Amino acid sequence: MIPREDLRAHASAILYRIGAAATVAEVDRLQDEALGESSPITAARRSLREATPDQKRALGAIVNEVTTTLADALAARRSVLAEEERIVRLAAERVDMTLPGYRPERGAAHLVMQVWDEIVDIFTGIGYTVAAGPEVETAYYNFDALNTPATHPARLESDTLYVDYGDDPEGVLLRTQTSPVQARWMESHQPPVHIIVPGRVYRRDAVDATHTPVFHQMEALAVGEDITFADLRGTLAYFMDQFFGKHTRQRFLPNFFPFTEPSAEMHVSCHRCDGSGCRTCGNRGWIELLGCGVVDPNVLEAAGYDAGRVSGWAFGVGIDRLAMIRHDIPELRFFFDADLRVLEQFR
Amino acid sequence: MKASLRWIKEFVDLPTNDAEVVAGVLSDLGIEVEGIERREASFSGVVVARVLAIKPHPAADKVRIATLDDGGEPIDVVCGAWNFGEGATVAYARVGAVLPGGITIGKKPVRGVMSPGMICSEIEMDLGEEKGGILVLPDGYAAPGTDFAGTLPYPDAIFDLSITPNRPDAMSIHGLARELGAFYELPVRIPTAVFSEEGATAARVIIEEPERCTRFTAREVRGVQVGPSPLWMRLRLRDAGVRPISNVVDVTNYVMLELGQPLHAFDLDRITDETIVVRLARAGEPLTTLDGVARSLSAEDLVIAGVDEPLGLAGIMGGGDSEVSAATTRVLIEVAHFEPTRVLLSGKRHGLRTEAVSRFERGVDPELPPAASARAASLMVEVAGGGVVGGFVDAHPRPHQSVEIALPVSEAGRLLGADIAGAEQAGYLRRLGFAVEGGNPLQVVVPSFRPDVTRPADLIEEIARLHGYDNFPSRLVSGQGGGLGPLQNMLRMARMAMVGAGFFEILSFDFIAARSLEGLRLAPDDPRSRPIRLRNPLNEEQEFLRTTLLPGLLDGLRRNVQRNRPDVALFEVGSVFLRGEGVLPEQPRHLAFAATGARRGRSGGDYEAGDAAGVAEVLLTALGHQATIVQAAVPGLHPGRAAFLEVDGRRIGSVGEIDPLVAAAWDLENRVVVGEFDLASLEAPAPAPFIMPSAYPPVVFDLAFDLAEEVAAAALLATVGAAAGPFLESLAIFDVFRGEPLGPGRKSVAVRLAFRAPDRTMVDGELGPIRRAISSRVTDDLGGRLRGG
Ligand SMILES: [Zn+2]
Repeated sequence: MIPREDLRAHASAILYRIGAAATVAEVDRLQDEALGESSPITAARRSLREATPDQKRALGAIVNEVTTTLADALAARRSVLAEEERIVRLAAERVDMTLPGYRPERGAAHLVMQVWDEIVDIFTGIGYTVAAGPEVETAYYNFDALNTPATHPARLESDTLYVDYGDDPEGVLLRTQTSPVQARWMESHQPPVHIIVPGRVYRRDAVDATHTPVFHQMEALAVGEDITFADLRGTLAYFMDQFFGKHTRQRFLPNFFPFTEPSAEMHVSCHRCDGSGCRTCGNRGWIELLGCGVVDPNVLEAAGYDAGRVSGWAFGVGIDRLAMIRHDIPELRFFFDADLRVLEQFR
Repeated sequence: MKASLRWIKEFVDLPTNDAEVVAGVLSDLGIEVEGIERREASFSGVVVARVLAIKPHPAADKVRIATLDDGGEPIDVVCGAWNFGEGATVAYARVGAVLPGGITIGKKPVRGVMSPGMICSEIEMDLGEEKGGILVLPDGYAAPGTDFAGTLPYPDAIFDLSITPNRPDAMSIHGLARELGAFYELPVRIPTAVFSEEGATAARVIIEEPERCTRFTAREVRGVQVGPSPLWMRLRLRDAGVRPISNVVDVTNYVMLELGQPLHAFDLDRITDETIVVRLARAGEPLTTLDGVARSLSAEDLVIAGVDEPLGLAGIMGGGDSEVSAATTRVLIEVAHFEPTRVLLSGKRHGLRTEAVSRFERGVDPELPPAASARAASLMVEVAGGGVVGGFVDAHPRPHQSVEIALPVSEAGRLLGADIAGAEQAGYLRRLGFAVEGGNPLQVVVPSFRPDVTRPADLIEEIARLHGYDNFPSRLVSGQGGGLGPLQNMLRMARMAMVGAGFFEILSFDFIAARSLEGLRLAPDDPRSRPIRLRNPLNEEQEFLRTTLLPGLLDGLRRNVQRNRPDVALFEVGSVFLRGEGVLPEQPRHLAFAATGARRGRSGGDYEAGDAAGVAEVLLTALGHQATIVQAAVPGLHPGRAAFLEVDGRRIGSVGEIDPLVAAAWDLENRVVVGEFDLASLEAPAPAPFIMPSAYPPVVFDLAFDLAEEVAAAALLATVGAAAGPFLESLAIFDVFRGEPLGPGRKSVAVRLAFRAPDRTMVDGELGPIRRAISSRVTDDLGGRLRGG
């Protein structure tokens, strides 16, 4: 039988060391020493099994008392030390968050293609279908189906790139406009028609500040009953506001194109100066942007539509030109140069 | 075309002198004003003076002393020019006058005689190029002392106009006045033509080609004196960009500018039998035109000929033989009408784009010749003397038929979207010179100067022009639904996936040089080795259509490397052009990429073969497909680092590192990874099925195999996967090593497998047989051995 005094002495010695413990690991060792298998308290508890009822009463109370005291003290100290250690550990893990972050490196879509996608999104958002057609095209679809006279200068070898394919030397060419897609579409679809046609087009131009033999164009066509010049004006106003991300004004000036009558050239108020004049607009306040008009009845009839019943409008705009204007890019050649220093600017 | 505002105002009393306002109106009418040039006399202090007397200089015989009346006391001025005598009217720069270039005139001695001021030449006043002495003005030009600058047709504004090809009527001062008159609702005057006729001309005209020459008028002016035109006419021509030549020729140009009708003046004495024949040229017939070029004519060319020799190319340019010269006294004024298209084609054939061609090709007013002839005759007598001979010849085999159009009043609303009353429509048309009758439809007669108007739609444009394009309503009507098609959608997703993988999109030309294809070291029987040629390429570098996107990408890599950007990753989506069976070539849309140098970002390391496969897998995954990489020898690629890419067993492209020889052809020193795919050939993926995640824990273990070097990783994965049974959840290679304790030519490939049953926790007892099955399959199929097993 262990004397009670010994138990108390043991307990107070351990309690003292618990108070002085500096680490959670030390507390764990003290736990084992105080209450473990080989501790006096466990031995005393074990001896109770053979003790008399009186002894049980007297010793049992003390065993329980010192066990509770020690367990509480251990738990309290562990909790304090654990918190201290957690603080120290996290402090040691400090990272300079202002260092360049780890990130997946993205590339970028080409600016012209970004503008292309934007225009597509603007028009698909108002219910238009995106039509596409071949870049190497027949002269029939590129010219004849579009009311272009046989003598029109655009057909000249000096302006159009002809392709050595088939027997007719002027039968196959690189399309000079995306309009042939309209002709193809109308052949196989009945009104109402609401399409946009973004695409690559080609002219026999040497590279200079504003010319490249390859460039990008987007044409839109709407044909149906009760489609008028007023719809053309409204659609272009919406397009411009969406594209420039702000309210713009438009001016329509009479012009001439073979596939529209009446024809117009649209000017838009300069998005940079809002009309007061700046470098982008050459101090005019307005930017000459695109050609448009009411679809010529000959074009409708060529497609087999009844020009007396249905009507329509069309416009065409240079995608590269839109990009140049909105981002103030001085020369077209930057778009075809694959220069990372340029590509990285438009993420 | 250049047009003087002052000249326009001779025909219409505009309510404004402000050139900017007039330019705005012209633009609103569809006549584009590209610029406005202000014209003013660039001198001051010069007055009109009369030469009272001339006396020799006491000390010099190259100069004389002229006594001038400049409105005050007579003044003696030293003058070195000899082209004038006593009584002449001249321009005198007084002391203090300022001449062009800021030269201030003072009082200075000339060989000992004081000369207060000077008598001026055209060149000194920047009024012309006449070098033959001082400017001599006509007698009675203005009272002595009159400010000379004030007598000039200045200040003026010269519009630089761009006239659309459908508007021949706007190619003249009078036509512009007519447009402005219509806009302002003002009357427009007709140029004056006042003369009397005497005698009868012997000139005859024979038209052999009435379809191409529908009208030919001829008028004789006799007794002209060829010399310089008066100053006002020369200034007008100069401001219009036409070089003054002589009074007779200048009159024809002046009337052409004023009325838009090209004219020609012949020396009638040089026309045999005074007979003009309008006929087709004989093939190879020679003609030396006014520009001094000896030409060989085609049987398609129409000529104005004498009884035998051609005198000029009809509607394009006259010939040198019948040209008006200083000796000419009898002039035949030709004013004719030619069929537009043939003039255009002949002009192109001979590379001649004269003022006459630019008007005839648009279609000149067929009723204009008599009026233009009369105006020219009147002016010619005024500036060159002589008199008009009677017997005006007007050969008119094909009289003009007026075009009549019935225009339903509702058309304007149907096409323009605005309600414009019938009376208002008729009013607009009448202002523009159309005759209109009837209520509905409007019966419209088109004036002869508007050959472009033939259909109701053309009238609608006229109504819209005067109504003002900006005065129409604006309405947004949506389409019927739509969006991107499946291929367009896939291409966009593919581009976004490439961007996410760190690649930059480029756009390159669709043209390649033969040299570029050779550089790619393709097999001779590869369809890409047989590109389609352009018939009229811009240059040798752009002679063929591309059959692969790789040259454009490799060019892009090279340019960046040369710019000291050695780490480059580029891609492009575009068409390639291959020979096919149809009328047009095959034009599949490809996606290709190329990269060299270090990968972007912290992952570090250089691009190598593994990136090519990885990018392809990422790309195909983004498109909803699973890529299979099949190791293969691909021409142009590194023999040990190339593969075909297959989807659902179909080859859609290839990936790998390019052959170092190909890299060298592009001056690239580091490894270059590339891939090119025909995305359009992919089928749309089926919607992905749902697989219920198991609620039970997986069992994971690793296996390492000792394999021969040639065994592809893909083959090991396929073999293990096939042997692993239905509960295999994932399988991946996590380690590859070579060296001890493996033998030479061997490698160890370690895979991690996870198994999971949908309905229970798998127990160890189930895994032994699976492990053994895998081991024996790898041994049987691949000659490998399970390590530590
Ligand atoms: Zn601006």
